[in-house]
Amino acid sequence: MLHVADLAKQHSRASRPLFSALGFTIAAGEIVALVGESGVGKSTLLNCIAGLETADRGSIAIGPQALDIVALDETARAALRARSIGFVFQAFHILPTLTVAQNIAVPLLLCGLPAGEHAARTRALLERVGLASFGPRWPASLSGGELQRVAIARALVHHPALVLADEPTGNLDPRTAGEVLALLLERVREQHTSALVVTHSQHVAQCCDRILTLTPDGLLE
Amino acid sequence: MRRRSFLCTPLLLPTLTLAAPARAPVTYAPVTPGIKLAFPRDHGAHPDFRTEWWYVTGALDVPQADIGFQLTFFRSRPGNAEDLQSPLAARQILFAHAALTLPGERLLHSERAARANLGAAFSSSDCDIHIGAWRMNREQRSTGEVLRLQMNSPQFSYDFTLTPSQPLLLQGDGGYSRKGQAAALASYYVSWPQLQVAGSLLFDGQRRAASGRAWFDHEWSTAILGGDAVGWDWVGINLDDGGALMAFRMRDSQGATLFAHAAWRDAGGQVRQFAAGEVAFHPLRHWASPRSGASYPVQIEIRLGELTLRTRPVLDDQELSTSRPAPVVYWEGLVRLEGSLSGRGYLEMTGYAGRLQL
Amino acid sequence: MQALSRLSWWLIRAQFTTRRAATLLSMLAVALGVALGYAIHLINDAALADFARAMKSVQGDPDAVIAARDSAGSVPLATLNAIARDPAVLVIAAVIETRVRIDNARTPVTLIGIDVFSAAAVMPDLLPRHNEQAAAPNLFNGGVYASPALLAKLAQRAPDSDSGARPGRTLTLVRGEQQWPATLAGDLPAARPDDLLLVADIAWVQERFGPVDAVSEGRVRLAPDSDLATWRKKWAQQLPAGLLIRVADDDSARVSNLSRAYRVNLNVLALVALLTGAFLVFATQLTSVAQRSTQFALLGVLGLSPRMRLLQVLLEGLAIGVPGALLGLGLGYALAVAFTRLLGGDLGGGYFAGSAPPIIPLPAPALVFLALGCLASLAGASYPAYLNRMQPLAQALKTGFAQQSHADTARATLPRLRLPLFLALAALALAQLPPLFALPLAGYAAIALVLVAGIASAPLLTQLLFGWLSAQALPAPQRIALQNVAQAPLMAQVAASGLIVSFALTASMVIMVSSFRVAVDQWLDHVLPAPLYLRSKATPLPQDLLAALAQPDAPFTRVERMANASLIIDPQRPQVALLVREIDRRDPAARLPVTGPLLAPPATTPAVWISEPMAEIYRLAPGQTLRLPLLGREIEVFIGGVWRDYGRQFGAVVISRQDYQQLGGDFQPTDLALWPRPGEEAHASAWLAPWADQYGLEVADSAEIRRLSLSIFDKSFAVTYALEAAAMLIGLFGLAVTLAASVWLRARELATLGALGFDRRMLSRAVMLEGALIATVGVLIGLACGVGIGAILTHVVNPQAFHWRMALAIPWAALVTGAAITLAAAVLASRHAARQATRLPVAQVLASAQ
Repeated sequence: MLHVADLAKQHSRASRPLFSALGFTIAAGEIVALVGESGVGKSTLLNCIAGLETADRGSIAIGPQALDIVALDETARAALRARSIGFVFQAFHILPTLTVAQNIAVPLLLCGLPAGEHAARTRALLERVGLASFGPRWPASLSGGELQRVAIARALVHHPALVLADEPTGNLDPRTAGEVLALLLERVREQHTSALVVTHSQHVAQCCDRILTLTPDGLLE
Repeated sequence: MRRRSFLCTPLLLPTLTLAAPARAPVTYAPVTPGIKLAFPRDHGAHPDFRTEWWYVTGALDVPQADIGFQLTFFRSRPGNAEDLQSPLAARQILFAHAALTLPGERLLHSERAARANLGAAFSSSDCDIHIGAWRMNREQRSTGEVLRLQMNSPQFSYDFTLTPSQPLLLQGDGGYSRKGQAAALASYYVSWPQLQVAGSLLFDGQRRAASGRAWFDHEWSTAILGGDAVGWDWVGINLDDGGALMAFRMRDSQGATLFAHAAWRDAGGQVRQFAAGEVAFHPLRHWASPRSGASYPVQIEIRLGELTLRTRPVLDDQELSTSRPAPVVYWEGLVRLEGSLSGRGYLEMTGYAGRLQL
Repeated sequence: MQALSRLSWWLIRAQFTTRRAATLLSMLAVALGVALGYAIHLINDAALADFARAMKSVQGDPDAVIAARDSAGSVPLATLNAIARDPAVLVIAAVIETRVRIDNARTPVTLIGIDVFSAAAVMPDLLPRHNEQAAAPNLFNGGVYASPALLAKLAQRAPDSDSGARPGRTLTLVRGEQQWPATLAGDLPAARPDDLLLVADIAWVQERFGPVDAVSEGRVRLAPDSDLATWRKKWAQQLPAGLLIRVADDDSARVSNLSRAYRVNLNVLALVALLTGAFLVFATQLTSVAQRSTQFALLGVLGLSPRMRLLQVLLEGLAIGVPGALLGLGLGYALAVAFTRLLGGDLGGGYFAGSAPPIIPLPAPALVFLALGCLASLAGASYPAYLNRMQPLAQALKTGFAQQSHADTARATLPRLRLPLFLALAALALAQLPPLFALPLAGYAAIALVLVAGIASAPLLTQLLFGWLSAQALPAPQRIALQNVAQAPLMAQVAASGLIVSFALTASMVIMVSSFRVAVDQWLDHVLPAPLYLRSKATPLPQDLLAALAQPDAPFTRVERMANASLIIDPQRPQVALLVREIDRRDPAARLPVTGPLLAPPATTPAVWISEPMAEIYRLAPGQTLRLPLLGREIEVFIGGVWRDYGRQFGAVVISRQDYQQLGGDFQPTDLALWPRPGEEAHASAWLAPWADQYGLEVADSAEIRRLSLSIFDKSFAVTYALEAAAMLIGLFGLAVTLAASVWLRARELATLGALGFDRRMLSRAVMLEGALIATVGVLIGLACGVGIGAILTHVVNPQAFHWRMALAIPWAALVTGAAITLAAAVLASRHAARQATRLPVAQVLASAQ
């Protein structure tokens, strides 16, 4: 579901490339953790995969059609993200001006799914993340753990091929973090979706199927 | 662009012209016998008399047989603004009326009104009277004298030159023409029959050459309708043999004849006058106007002594409604004359839709 | 698409509920601009239509009018009768029009002599109705007929049954020496409700009041098949020089010319209101984009296309613009109705006297103004939309709104001065250009450039000022605040530019109006040399008064007579005033405020002195000769000089009485300037009083005329003052909105400062200082631009639009006061922002990773 090959990226003013000749594959339904020290380029790699930054070289094939996001233009990348990628962020990023249900429905709208299916799918996912009655509530009234559950629902509601999670539990206390992580993995597995989880947490990494470590010298399995 | 119909005028004029003049009425010149008319001076206007008209009626053969036309100029002096010095004073009012009869089809007509000196004028020394571009005048040409008629209107216009083929016909006693039993009821009346018409005629958007025969009348008076009279029947016919016939009668409200007269100039130039007792008008067929409701004897049998004549109109509906000088509804149109004499000319019937106001 | 439009709608709705005040105010600003523009349009349209209707009711709707080019002239009867014979002419309706007073009433009414035979075809509204009950002569015999409005007035004046408006009563019609005791015989059923008209037969009017063997006008109805242009050309060549042929197009062009410049100026003011509306949308949308940059970045990451990110902000602008413009249309209609009721159809401009025309809204112009409102809001939203489109998603998602890194801050000062300098030079060049289409379009463009130059110079000045200040030894919070602004000048620039624009426009208006007022004041000094003035409204002064004034016992040392007339130089332009004055050919400057050179006229040529508007409209200069339509012919006259005139916008010509009389003119004075004997001023007034009463004359002393003139002046600028106030409010509001936004954007910074131990008062002071400094920059640049624009208005726009020249008089005291008040208001407005800043919960802000 994700195939990265020969990827290179250099920051404009840096003398040395951040990474080069990076390559790995995440199979369908596989959950992979990406770990590494701060500043080693985890976020840049994630941004490249999401098409928010452009790699200097290499290819990133995403989804069943294996579209190379590096080669796409900005609009096509946005479309690919909308269709094939789900996001979970450390800072939750729930739109404060929309209700919980509306937040979850946003990816459906971006996919252009007919309005008739929204309510059912949104409700189903709210139930799956244990927030069945939260639909009409405003994000401001939710706790951090609840917000991240909403984010998980939003990441999965449109059945993406790939979920990118960037420190999904970084802003949560250990108990809640555990619950949220368990929920995320459970739901991802349930949908047979691939996932790349960037994390500093050993615990989180160990819960994944495979661990990739990004070092200045390259990827270590 | 919206143009208001010029015919608005008649709607308004009644109130104005009929309102009694507040000042002392003007003293008009009387019509007396024994006056010798002199021409061309007496072709001109006689502003001291109350009313006057110059009247041309005719029948065309080209572009089409039996097209009737008429152009009339009226001068009226109703007694308004008599003591005003301004040249614009509305003392002498001029009216003009033109009509065109398309036989068996329809009647077109148009009219003009103006005060003298404001877009209109008349001459007192010769026949020359105009309102705007409408004009009737006598011209002395190297080939002899002619009358010229010019008029234009949105529906039709014509420009005719009338060449005399015969001398003037002074009606009555050397032009003194009695209109009733009372001596005051009379006019000066000059006719000019058998005028050759040449010129151009425009109708239905097409200008065509025209020729035919016409009859000119010039009449001025101060009083012609007696107290009992409501109107008259009149014919002026150019006879096919070159002769000319004029006949009229004054009617009362019952249709009885109050006065009548006729004159027949035969092809040889002999004039025979018919006294009142020798003239009789008998309606043969009436035509009722759908507009005014008036019923006109469009076919009349006229008996002049031993002569029996009948009129036959080329179009039944030749009824006119004008404002000259007061609102008048009357019948005037081209007829054929049959019987002892034959010819073409105009029949005029007034007073069938209420008493004629002059 | 349907799914996306739902998302778009969610976002718009959220925007409206969370930023209610700002959105509503932007909407109101757009509404104000649309309302003003639309109201001006409606009022003017109605006034013009009303004027045209009034003209049509009196003049009818002829195809062409034959008229004299000067008001003393007339159309000879012979000419009229010659035209009547033209087969292309269906009818020519002659009229004699004059002004008479009824029974010595003060206000004259129009007496129209008509020929009823021809009037019906051309001016049916003037046809009289005879009252059958009245013992009155008919029209031809001297009956006169009054319009309903006049009848009502007559009845009001003499309520007793014996006179008043009763048909049959005698009205004494007075025009100068001439009198006509005419009998009221009926009414004019088709006259308009506010027409004060008398109609009589043309012969009677001519008999009593002249002109001999001539009429005022001939109104022509052409035959249906004749071509107006050909006909006009044919007759234009044959007519005597003193006559002209006017067609309906000329009339409408003239009517439109009458108020054109005034109208355009008002419309530019409306445009200014609309631009400030656009600015507010800009400020609102920019701050909202900045505030929601994280949200938009998130949507972008989730897959909202760049195009949609652009479109969304534009749509939000439109969501402000459409209801704003709709509200504006309604407001504009209400304004139009209210203003016409209060001030008449010319908003106090004095062009269309005495009419309160009905306001009729039509769909097409309403749509245009709706579109204008939407366009303004779209324009305002376009830069924020572009910024939103260009946001780097990953960075914005992490750190919020990203301003472009100011690599150029390091740039040298001089190159950055280039743009404003270039703009200022371009403005200067534009100000030198002549009018386009008789309008000061280049002047308006120059004004726009000055504003843009001012705005463009704002970042530089901000940076210089703030950079310098922050380098000074200041308390820490202030210094930090200053550095913030100096390094992130976008918000400061937005806040300042609003103030620049609004203060510049206000200041320039103040300068222009003040210059104008000073000039009018000085001009009044010059044109009112005598202590007392006597005026007869449009009819000549009675000879017996003039004779009495010539007697030695009259209490005056000096009496100067003047006659007023008018002439047409171009039938498409309003009439030019002709003033026949007792003036010394060798020293016209004694009586006229001459500007420019005075040339001695050749002894044999009549001399005239033309007003500034006349010189500019007809491009005339001293020393030229001019063929002037005078006394029914064209007369060559020498232009001796140009004098200043603020009274007659469409031009005036002064000729000396001697010249006028030598040309054969009949000098019939209508105005007198009187110098009472010293010490006998009261006696002089008392001496005049009975004359004034008897003949309905107006007596006024120069102080009164001056007071009245200035009050009319002030009234005509009422709308301008209202707009200035609106502009200032919008500017201040813009400042408050942008300051609040910039505080919000720097929430984390401020919170950090708070965490580091700055107390709320210190933070609040820092924010207020920031606001005050931004306002200082705005007001300073605004003032500079204001002076520049004021100069353009005074030296370019006024002369080109109204042909009024004047010196620049800058009211420094008023401007400085205004600047101080604006600064104070700005500080107050920034207090609002400061309060927001200090209310931010420090811990929460710091905790959130935004």
